[in-house]
Amino acid sequence: MIRDITIGQYYPADSVIHKLDPRVKLFATLIYIIALFCFKGILGLCIITVCLMSVIRLSKVPFSYMVKGLKAIVILLLITAFFNLVFTPGEIVFWKFWRFQITDVGITNSVIMTLRLIYLILGTSLMTLTTTPNQLTDGLEKALSPLNKINIPVHAIAMMMSIALRFIPILMEETDKIMKAQMARGADFEHGNIFRRAKNMVPLLVPLMVSAFRRADDLALAMEARCYNGGAGRTKMKPLQYRRDDRIAYGICLLFLVIVAAARILLSFPQ
Amino acid sequence: MSIIKTKNLVHEFIRRDEERNVESITTALDHVSLDVKQGQFIAILGHNGSGKSTLAKHINALLMPSEGTIWVDGMDVSEEKNIIDVRKSAGMVFQNPDNQIIASVVEEDVGFGPENLGVPTEEILKRVDASLHAVGMEKFRRHSPNKLSGGQKQRVAIAGVVAMEPKCIVFDEPTAMLDPNGRKEVLAAAHALNREKGVTVLWITHYMEEVVEADHVYVMENGKIIMDGTPRAVFSKVDELKAHRLDVPQITLLADFLKKDGLPLSSGILKREELVHELTAICKTYGVHPKTGQQNPKEEKEQSPKDAALDGNMMILDHVNYRYSQGTAYQIQALKDVNLNIAKGEFIGIIGHTGSGKSTLIQHLNGLLRAESGHIYVDGADIYDEDYDMRELRGRVGLVFQYPEHQLFGTTNFEDVCFGPKNKGLDKRTVELRAYEALQNVRFPEELYYQPPFDLSGGQKRRVAIAGVLAMKPEVLILDEPTAGLDPAGRDEILDLIADMHKELGITVILVSHSMEDVAKYVDRIIVMNQGEVLYDDVPKTVFRHYKELESIGLAAPQVTYLMHELREQGLPVDLDATTLQEAEQSILNAMQ
Repeated sequence: MIRDITIGQYYPADSVIHKLDPRVKLFATLIYIIALFCFKGILGLCIITVCLMSVIRLSKVPFSYMVKGLKAIVILLLITAFFNLVFTPGEIVFWKFWRFQITDVGITNSVIMTLRLIYLILGTSLMTLTTTPNQLTDGLEKALSPLNKINIPVHAIAMMMSIALRFIPILMEETDKIMKAQMARGADFEHGNIFRRAKNMVPLLVPLMVSAFRRADDLALAMEARCYNGGAGRTKMKPLQYRRDDRIAYGICLLFLVIVAAARILLSFPQ
Repeated sequence: MSIIKTKNLVHEFIRRDEERNVESITTALDHVSLDVKQGQFIAILGHNGSGKSTLAKHINALLMPSEGTIWVDGMDVSEEKNIIDVRKSAGMVFQNPDNQIIASVVEEDVGFGPENLGVPTEEILKRVDASLHAVGMEKFRRHSPNKLSGGQKQRVAIAGVVAMEPKCIVFDEPTAMLDPNGRKEVLAAAHALNREKGVTVLWITHYMEEVVEADHVYVMENGKIIMDGTPRAVFSKVDELKAHRLDVPQITLLADFLKKDGLPLSSGILKREELVHELTAICKTYGVHPKTGQQNPKEEKEQSPKDAALDGNMMILDHVNYRYSQGTAYQIQALKDVNLNIAKGEFIGIIGHTGSGKSTLIQHLNGLLRAESGHIYVDGADIYDEDYDMRELRGRVGLVFQYPEHQLFGTTNFEDVCFGPKNKGLDKRTVELRAYEALQNVRFPEELYYQPPFDLSGGQKRRVAIAGVLAMKPEVLILDEPTAGLDPAGRDEILDLIADMHKELGITVILVSHSMEDVAKYVDRIIVMNQGEVLYDDVPKTVFRHYKELESIGLAAPQVTYLMHELREQGLPVDLDATTLQEAEQSILNAMQ
């Protein structure tokens, strides 16, 4: 069901990670992704695994809850693993049939790629799980504020993002409801070819659009009534300020990058 | 000191066509003059479309007057430079709880207003604490609004306004989309603000029960103020209110009936206690000695509808269980061992508060949800059999969802109603014939058949949506809260319509509601749901005998039931089983002869 997806949702808890400045978390995620795609060898993998696991522990988000987020990408994982497994040429061939072959390199690649994807989802969803959408957009707004100088409306973009995040679950629920209502009138969303199905979506999309506009209209009024006037002259309830923990976290991130890079350079030579 | 003052306020909505020529002018406010003093609790009553929301938007400078003047806290609203200050002094809470919360965490939403005003951080935090406390939501400060109930969301919205420290708050139908418990919560929060913080409250509503405690009531119709005064003064004019097709609190109505029957009651009785008090006083002064005898409710068991209809069962639910989010931490047992028999031609009410499982239950009846265990038989066939045709079932069991007008999509009303029969694969002529019949059955005005549905009023849209289900020619029609969000006139029209369809078309009707008053008046059998279980399943009178248990699960029996019990305690031999106004009137008169 749609409502069971955990990717991108906030998980309230009281942890060091939750309290970090969103800019640090954005930066750390970036570093993490770089590390994930440039590590080589078992040592690099171990370092990343240990770091990821300890950060998850620190965040107090239950591991099982995070794993549930992976459900959404199971198909993608299977496809990746499968293609890497049967299409990679290598030295030792275990099995061969027409164009498909299973080789030693293929096995390693498929394991590494699958792990990479899993780690990618775990790491990035850790950011969204520990950062409220508002903090996240605040972080982006502040980190990107230099772009204001070249006339990019950073505040407006950030505001739109946080509103979008707020309304995604509401619109999902609404989709579910309208779908059921039309099914009760005999609509069929599951059968037929692609054109037929696209045509069948009209009774779903039209009411959804109408409702989205109605909500947008209401929300605009409500924001105006609460004196919203764009970014100028606003103060922040939770202004972003680096604290000691944030500086330490920056340090740890850099150290992590250096170690992963060192592991790659030093230990990939013997191979 | 007056906080809001209007003088001959006029607002016209001008509709223009593509060439900017005036197409039509609607006068939404017609020379409205009123004066609200600091610290008052003011109620504004009226139908949908009577102009009350337009008036509210002027107070917040969201609309500008076409003519006349409005002052908020001494400032002329139409002057550009005053806008921010006006919005600061007069906050506003809107109808839809979802569409006014912008942040994904409660406290961040409450802080949004002060942030916009440029309040320093320290001060914002203090205000957020204080305002969440004022509405009793401090426990939820780090929650996501999506996980809150409607009443709680509305209280968050109020806190968001309170954090801006306004002198006055305008509530624009804040309870229209809530269930009875949510309504009570929100009204109590507004009264607390008024009492403890001295905030002036302008409470706009169409529920009469909510304005009983107000200092002053204005009644609006067609953009004009047609009545005003204290609640007692306004409600003593029962006939006038009725002429404007406005609702009157049930107790007031009953008192009025009794007065017309010749009992010397004072006019404008608002509360149950007053009526009980006056009736017992009459007994004493006139030396009427309450008759003794028939102390207990008739114990001889009336034939319960279950037994009566055993042969004609068309739908049987056998040990049905269902869980949401199965196998996760959020798992909720939505239905617990539900057993029901539904006979052809019954008129059933399903009652329960939000989350009691009533919506889940009805979605099982037409196969939209599939039970985890248990069976559902329709005309003897198990709907979970592999070769059972679910789409056929959905044609036979029509389900009208809550706010069904949100599902409309056709370019014309007629086309939209055609959707259902078309899906059944009928030929064009039959489809059109069915759509026509269905629109006739819901008494939809013929000149609007080929108009787009989006321009209609809420009540009309709802008729089209109901017709859309009727056109499938269902044998059973299930309606989930068909009156939600409608004003009293619209509510009565829809309920009467449903009752007529039951009678004339002979279809089985299942009405889901959380209003006991609505249900008591129409249905033959009530199923009370609580925490996924069927708590009671019987004729209304028998169900309402459990009024104390009903109250303990957050439902209330009809006002009349309470009144009867209180009168009985005072020694009047009234019939405890009276549930409608007419029955109560008769029973009181009999007792007091």
